[in-house]
This record gives sequence, structure tokens and C-alpha cells, in this order.
Amino acid sequence: MLDIVIWAGWAGGLAVGAFLLLQLWLTGKLLGVSTGFGNLCALGSKAKFFHTGDFTDPFNWRLFFLLGLPLGGLLGVLLSPEATFSWTLSLGPRYDSVFPSALWARGLILTGAGFLVGYGARLAGGCTSGHAIAGISLLNLPSLLASVLFFVGGIAAVQLLFWLA
Amino acid sequence: MKHKLTFLGLGALFGLILSRAGATTPDLYAGLFLFEDLQLLWVIATAIGVGLIGVQLLKARRARALLGGEEISYKGKPMTRALIPGSLIFGAGWGLSGACPGTALAMLGEGRLTALFVLLGITLGTWFYGLRRSRA
Repeated sequence: MLDIVIWAGWAGGLAVGAFLLLQLWLTGKLLGVSTGFGNLCALGSKAKFFHTGDFTDPFNWRLFFLLGLPLGGLLGVLLSPEATFSWTLSLGPRYDSVFPSALWARGLILTGAGFLVGYGARLAGGCTSGHAIAGISLLNLPSLLASVLFFVGGIAAVQLLFWLA
Repeated sequence: MKHKLTFLGLGALFGLILSRAGATTPDLYAGLFLFEDLQLLWVIATAIGVGLIGVQLLKARRARALLGGEEISYKGKPMTRALIPGSLIFGAGWGLSGACPGTALAMLGEGRLTALFVLLGITLGTWFYGLRRSRA
């Protein structure tokens, strides 16, 4: 599990950038993930927001893109010669040193942090893929601002977390 | 249906790339925001560099989508008042969860059970936003 192959940062970035272009050229659709969570909500909610605009058809491409992502993670393990698939609750040495090890407490923190990710992404209009990678590639100024503030929020929260712990 | 399988395949490819890039390794997020390991900064910076050049080339060629021939979308997201607080909130969650929406899904496929909590949270956050917007 911990022995998955990780490329050098520049090589990983090259692949992510190439993927953005592949999807755009092949399908005409700009990379973006967080909106797809609204498709998931649409499957279980009658609220008007989840059945208009982006979500008129909850079974559009975003839902299938989302379903593919876990398959890719699994492939990442299966295609790593030194790794074997196993379930883990570890987040790695840095987070494990500051987060409680009790499952309920760790789960509560991560659910809360995920809530900020989901709510913040909708307020901001996108996430790391849609704003930072796709948005800046388009030279879209609101996306550049959003991306800078993503980093400001991340640095502030993590510095505070490790300072308090 | 063919189109849906295409996006399932694209999602799987993107998940694999995120895994290889280190973006599904939560510890690298803490490393980034503590300035101890800048792997993910190089990933994002290089990806943007490639994207910037490629988008210009696609525009210059007036390329159309290879599948279906529809117009390629270059529509940037708009500036809104909510963008500033939203981005700060997203950033805080990004750092505290060690994940973002795409990588949390790929992490689950790698066997990281903690991603289930993050995914539950992201869905609840999206749902909460949708409820507020439905009332307004």
C-alpha cells in the first residue's frame, strides 16, 4: 500500500497537464471534479438546486468521470510492483502525529474537513482541478485568485493544526 | 452509453495519474503546507505550464472535440462575491483533510479507508450549499 510508485513532481505535473489537454481535445469538456458531487447529491435529493443548471441531467459525464476515479486509484496500486492492495486507516507520518488515533475522532475531523472542501468548492465555483489547473491554464483571473486563496487557507489551517498539536 | 464509458475510462486514467503524481498521498499535503516537501507544488505548477501552452495551441488550431466534433469549452469560471470566502474555506479543508475532491475518490480506490470520511464530508458540504441555494 505505502509502496505505490510516485513519480518526480515535474513528471506527475506533466501527466496531469497532458490529461487536461487530452480530455479537452477528445471531448471538449474542461477538467473539473467538485461539481460532480452535486450529481451525487441529485441522486438522493429533491432540492431544486440539484435539478437545474449544471444538474439538469444528473447522469451526465461528470457522474461517470467521478465513478472512474477510484478505479484509477486501484490501478495505481495494482500497477506498482512493490505494492499489494490492503485497506488502511493511516494518513502517513505527518497527519498521524497530530490526529487522534481513535477512529471516531479521526473520522469526525476528516468529515468536518471534507465538509469545508465541499462547501468551499461550491462557494468558490470549483476546486483544485477546475480552478487551479484548468482555470489558470485558460488565464482566467478569478481562478488565479481562487487558487492563491486555496493555498492561503491550506497554509493557515495546517500551520495552525501542527502548532496547536 | 459509449460516451459514458469514455468518461469512466477518463476518470480512471486521471485517478491513476493523480496516484502517480503523489496527489493521493495525504502526507504530501501536510508536507506542502508546512513547506517541508514541495512535490505537489511542482505537480500543480508543471501541470499549469503544460495546460497554458496546450490550450493556446488548441485555440490556434481552432480544434473541435475529436469525439463528436462539438465546440471545445474555454469558458472560465466567473468572479463572484462568494469566491473569496469559499476559496479560503476550501483551502482550509484541503489542508486539514489531506485531500481534494478528485484525489479523495482515487484514495478510496487505493484502499485508504479514511477517504470515506472525507467523501462523506464533501458530499454533505455540497448538499448543504444546495439546500441553502434552493431556499434562497
